[in-house]
Amino acid sequence: MSFFHSSQSKSDGTAPGEPMVWFSGMWLAIGLLMIVTLLTVIVKNGLTLFWPSKIVRIELVEGSAAAIQGASSFAGEVRKRQDKSIRDAEGHAIPELQFFVGNRDAYGFGFRYVDQADIAARTYPENFLVAERLEYGDLLGYPVALKLADGTVAVDAPDFRERLRALVDEGNQRRHEIERIEKGEIGAINRKMEALKLSLRKAELGDTLTDAFRASVEEETAALQAEYEVLAKEASSLRAEQKVARFVYRLDTGAERETAIGNLIHFYYPNEMGFFGRVGHFLAEIWNFLSEDPREANTEGGVFPAIFGTFVMTLLMSLVVVPFGVVAAIYLREYSKQGPLVRAVRIAVNNLAGVPSIVFGVFGLGFFVYFVGGGIDSLFYPERLPTPTFGTGGILWAALTLALMTVPVVIVSTEEALAAVSRGAREASLAAGASKWQTIQHIVLPASVPGVITGLVLSMARGAGEVAPLMLVGVVKLAPTLALDAQAPFVHLERKFMHLGFHIYDLGFQSPDSEAAKPMVFATTLLLIALVVVLNATAILLRERLRRKYASSAF
Amino acid sequence: MNTLPDPTETQPQAQVPRPTPDPKRFEASRRVLLTDAFMNGFIKVGGIFVVVAVIGIFVFIVSQVLPMFQSARVEVEGGGVVSEVLPEGDYVAIAVDEWGERPLALHRNGRFFYSDLTDAGVVREAEFTFLENDDDISAVAAVPGSGVFAVGTVGGGIHLLDYAYEPVFHEGERSIEGNLTEAYRGEAGGPVRVLGFGQSESARLVAVLADTDDGPHLRVTLVERKRSLVGAGKWTESAVIDLTDSLRDGVAVRSLHVSNRTDAVLVVFENGEVDYHFRSGSETSFSLRQTFRPFSDLDDPSIAASGFLFGDVSMVFVSSSGANRVFSLYRTEEEPVRLFHRTKNFEALPEAAGFLAKSLRNKAFLTGSGDHVSLRHATTEKVRWEGDLPFQVRHALVGSKYDSLLFFSDERRFHRLPLRDPHPEVSFRALFGKVWYEGSPEPKYEWQSTGGSDDFEPKLSLVPLIFGTFKGTFYALLFALPIALFGAIYTSEFLHPRNKVYVKPVMEIMASLPSVVLGFLAALWLAPILENRFPSLLCIVFLLPAGSFLIGWLWSRQPQAIRKHVPPGREFLYFTPLLLLLLVVGWHLGPLLEQVLFRVKDSASGEWVGDFTRWWPAVTGTAYEQRNSLVVGFVMGFAVIPIIFTISEDALSNVP
Repeated sequence: MSFFHSSQSKSDGTAPGEPMVWFSGMWLAIGLLMIVTLLTVIVKNGLTLFWPSKIVRIELVEGSAAAIQGASSFAGEVRKRQDKSIRDAEGHAIPELQFFVGNRDAYGFGFRYVDQADIAARTYPENFLVAERLEYGDLLGYPVALKLADGTVAVDAPDFRERLRALVDEGNQRRHEIERIEKGEIGAINRKMEALKLSLRKAELGDTLTDAFRASVEEETAALQAEYEVLAKEASSLRAEQKVARFVYRLDTGAERETAIGNLIHFYYPNEMGFFGRVGHFLAEIWNFLSEDPREANTEGGVFPAIFGTFVMTLLMSLVVVPFGVVAAIYLREYSKQGPLVRAVRIAVNNLAGVPSIVFGVFGLGFFVYFVGGGIDSLFYPERLPTPTFGTGGILWAALTLALMTVPVVIVSTEEALAAVSRGAREASLAAGASKWQTIQHIVLPASVPGVITGLVLSMARGAGEVAPLMLVGVVKLAPTLALDAQAPFVHLERKFMHLGFHIYDLGFQSPDSEAAKPMVFATTLLLIALVVVLNATAILLRERLRRKYASSAF
Repeated sequence: MNTLPDPTETQPQAQVPRPTPDPKRFEASRRVLLTDAFMNGFIKVGGIFVVVAVIGIFVFIVSQVLPMFQSARVEVEGGGVVSEVLPEGDYVAIAVDEWGERPLALHRNGRFFYSDLTDAGVVREAEFTFLENDDDISAVAAVPGSGVFAVGTVGGGIHLLDYAYEPVFHEGERSIEGNLTEAYRGEAGGPVRVLGFGQSESARLVAVLADTDDGPHLRVTLVERKRSLVGAGKWTESAVIDLTDSLRDGVAVRSLHVSNRTDAVLVVFENGEVDYHFRSGSETSFSLRQTFRPFSDLDDPSIAASGFLFGDVSMVFVSSSGANRVFSLYRTEEEPVRLFHRTKNFEALPEAAGFLAKSLRNKAFLTGSGDHVSLRHATTEKVRWEGDLPFQVRHALVGSKYDSLLFFSDERRFHRLPLRDPHPEVSFRALFGKVWYEGSPEPKYEWQSTGGSDDFEPKLSLVPLIFGTFKGTFYALLFALPIALFGAIYTSEFLHPRNKVYVKPVMEIMASLPSVVLGFLAALWLAPILENRFPSLLCIVFLLPAGSFLIGWLWSRQPQAIRKHVPPGREFLYFTPLLLLLLVVGWHLGPLLEQVLFRVKDSASGEWVGDFTRWWPAVTGTAYEQRNSLVVGFVMGFAVIPIIFTISEDALSNVP
């Protein structure tokens, strides 16, 4: 190893170890560069989803293979520049551009690759509109007219844009109203009917079913059915209203199309936005991403349920992992006799942290879901069988599985902190007459809180970023209901949930149109990375503080 | 204020008369003691609980794995569920429903008797007759699970009898009801000696050896039905194929087997020879593909019992001396068609087999003679269970859910014995050794746990999985070790302390990247970038270390006046722009290198072009994958680097 020591230099002024220093420095630089590149890629790709880029109109050269429906031009957004995977006859790379052209309903695809050489001219069209809608991805076109119940408004009308905006807002309100009726009120009726059916089945199973009870249940069901019909009628009339006003637009290829304004969520004119307009749009898009439900097989809309699911699951996990981890650490450090057995247990606990996470998933599925969950079902919910209640994946089992997976982290860091409390402090406390528990409660624990928190934060970071075990114990692509909501009993631990990590996996690898899902995956990745990095950075800072404390107490 | 000691206590003691000490001043209050005792107990119990839970995971997983290695269990005690005695006479075949509740026996005189094993085994006769004029059954082929008895009679009749069971619900009680119908009736031209039967969705083949006036005749009748929108049509005879020419003079036919793909007829002769006739697609002719003798090496090569295994790719043979072998169809490099070759050799039975029954769930089969029974599994080449029964076996069946064995004894009773064998396809060798799977020309390690059809043979070798895991780890380490180790050496030995404060956390942040993010980036971002750039990567791998050494060497030759501009411990910062430069140079050198090193002949134009993605398959014979080990190693490196880095940095820093 002597060539590593560069400090002594020979009399001729050369430094013999220097190449090795540079050599090892290079590897560190590579390591750092890798992280920086990775984070940059994620941040850049993640944020471009929200930034409204300009729409380019491409004039194609005669006979280009990229022509859409025979037209000589199209409009779209440049997404990527790259070299084709094949080369030309002389072995030169062929540069090409990827355009997002939208209008999947009209074209049948959302992206178009064009050879650089095929582009004859580029312009930035005026009065070009991009609208997000409920189906078929974005709409890109020139507005033509509004067809209303009482006539049409042409695009050259002075108040065209205001009218359109008002109509879209109205449509959004109506959509929320429909959602409230269908999900809220009709959902409540459905739940009541389901509960009645279950009470009937329960009575049947318990042999307490009387004709009177059956009659009363049937009567209530009929009443609910009547209520349901009123609401359903209301909802369907609102749905019909959504279709009245129509928006006529023209594609750059020349075709004129129309759509119900009720389908539009919002719209903007990307080529007419100033910088601040773009920033505003950017921030609004980020907010929508964070607060909305996903649409169209998760490739559009937001990730709110996934954020919520990740949050609730991590919270539940923390509630379990902290008390158990701390108690186990106190036991191992303060109570058990320090001998080979305890050392073996400690090794087992440390090894547990190295067990691949999918193993915990398998364990959670076998033990929590099938064994414990199945047991709960047959004991408490026999009337629902064979439909499982707890006997299938759910947020509770996911949280418990991850708690088991991360409990070593808490144990190890708590133990470390407990060991850092100086012997003197303990002995002083005991000498002053405090009992063992009083010493732990008032002296040892307060001093080791940073350690506990470090462990907790680290385990939260690990739990939030884990996917493989969750796939086995309750995470789903799309959960219609959240684990916490306004229905009694408010906390629904048996429900399945969505998770940011799984969202990434599902969009990136299971989505039928992975190209369309890519921006969404990057945005979700950015969110998850931000969450995990913030949690970890907190833990690292806390640990540094604790280390300093530990170092000072050693003297 | 309250941190100061109570002033009364600090006063000199002499001035104030000392109060008489409270005799209880050394006693702790009850509450403190109770809390202490409770908390001590609580923590002990809680701590032990967590420790036990942690160990419990391992125990649970082991307890789940162990049953895989258990052998089958058959409860022989008491003879299982027994039926009443069936009427006097000879019974030629039995069948049973999916639930094992209503076994059915066919009397030689053509009458059916069934027993209700859920109701004390009461025996009733089915109201169904198909034989006329005191005709008797002379040969029968009952293919279990297919719902058909193929019957040949002394009078020269051929009958296909369908039986169907279905559960009937009556006031919440489930019972099984059987239904018999005659689907087809034909003529053999003389007393039927041997009969074989097989059926697919739309075709049925009946192979019949009959004694006619001009000697024995072997004919195969093809019965087909058309499927229409309304449902299945009637079975009608569509062709009769004569195989009489393939018979040997003076050698009797022992048995006939027809595969359920209706593409093969096997003729087993008394002298131990087997003829394999093949029909492809919907042709109405057979060609003799192969003649083989399964026991040609034995003193007595004659075959006592034979039959297809589930899936109809393998044949089980038991010789007259009890030797037991399995032959499977596979293609070799020399032979372009699939022929039968020996793949398995089982422990011999004590004597010639009297019965042979296949499982309808897996590759297991049941064989034996008299009261001795053996349950064997073809894939693992293992005897799952072997034992003696308290009765003599006439006919045997394996329950269609592989959860029971049904026997018909010489005393004319049905016996249903419960079978518990949840994992017959697992054995130590199936997991870690080479296994000769059906259709494969040699034993191999293979993992394929699910397949498209019911008769799929699970291939459970863990070796490819273990090997793949190690391969991934190896590539990850190859990539991660230099970065992590040299990075750690630099960090602990040379790095300026002020830079250390942020270099370490940044490296540690790497550990927190969720694996799904790494996987996603590898597959969707990195793999397409690297797809055509392998030569560039080679250049970079070569350029970086060489470049850094060169720069370091050049730098060390410089006079100190220049060297002092780069403070020690900051080299890596100054190196970063150089690194980027090297990366760019390497990236663009790649295609040049490709033109020089990886030349391959273009099949279209006949010219030599440099293209690594085509050079690789041409040279190594394996396909070039976009998501390859390189990408795996690169990305797994991200997961490994921070761990190695942190540990080795800590270790290096701790050296005094």
